[in-house]
Amino acid sequence: MSNKAMTDETVSDQTDFGFRAVPRADKKSLVREVFASVAPRYDLMNDLMSLGIHRVWKQIFVTQLDPRPRRRLLDLAGGTGDISFAWLGRGGGPAILSDINPAMLEVGRNRAVERGHVASLSFLVADAEALPIPSGSMDVVSMAFGLRNCTDKDAVLTEALRVLRPGGRFLCLEFSRLEIAALIPLYEAWSFQVLPRLGRVFAGDAESYQYLAESIRMFPDQQALAGMMRTAGFSRVAVRNLSGGIAAIHSGWKL
Amino acid sequence: MSDTKGEDADEVPASDAAPPQQAVDPRLLEILVCPLTKQPLVYDRTRNELISRAAGLAYPIRGGIPIMLPDEARPLDA
Repeated sequence: MSNKAMTDETVSDQTDFGFRAVPRADKKSLVREVFASVAPRYDLMNDLMSLGIHRVWKQIFVTQLDPRPRRRLLDLAGGTGDISFAWLGRGGGPAILSDINPAMLEVGRNRAVERGHVASLSFLVADAEALPIPSGSMDVVSMAFGLRNCTDKDAVLTEALRVLRPGGRFLCLEFSRLEIAALIPLYEAWSFQVLPRLGRVFAGDAESYQYLAESIRMFPDQQALAGMMRTAGFSRVAVRNLSGGIAAIHSGWKL
Repeated sequence: MSDTKGEDADEVPASDAAPPQQAVDPRLLEILVCPLTKQPLVYDRTRNELISRAAGLAYPIRGGIPIMLPDEARPLDA
């Protein structure tokens, strides 16, 4: 049977999909549709949405992953491959690029071939809430801009902890709460006025980008996510804000 | 000394009549477990599936990529 950790709290049969409440069972397929829709233009849209800053965030994130030749990386929700490629480019060991969405992974694989990264990279379609990876087998687990889209975030954290070896580390890069109050109106306007329009013009899909903006607002803030990681069993949980908290890196050790 | 590697292509078994498909990563085959039961999987080369007897599911491999989602898996005949 499933060994997914059960929590004591009553599990609601509704969950967030952006600002909408949807049946828990539906979120996975709704998210899948969003990413199947945006996959071919995902990298371009990320550049437009973040004014290119997501590249800087990812570089900082990979530095914090601390790539080493003998370390194995599981890249969750790795999508089009940015994290895995940077890990390998900086001398990291074998990487598994996983995503629940084959359309995203297909883009990643084409890019991997172009970059000559195929030799130490494996591709895997997997649900981060129920990983097909043995316990204690990974040195580093990363998740960049993925946790927000998962229905059962506690299950993802529990699985990340399970597959890590003792002494291994989990790092999560995700949008978070802007901590500079004066910038919040500008950020709101960007997210809810500009972003969906960019989505319509460049990807022909305003709704998916509306979802992305909404899902960022619904995601737990820095302290809430840190608390969830501690509850899942991570030790020495730390948070590092990026760009004033627009994004944040959460890290935790399996000790 | 240094030019002895990389020439073992003739080791590939050519007996399978299956249509040419991208090979599954052998490192993945070695470690993957069933996402539901966490039990080992058996690779069915002819059907190109990963079998979880404990879960009664066969996970497909598409374009060389294992699709380890129970929703996408084929229930095994009882």
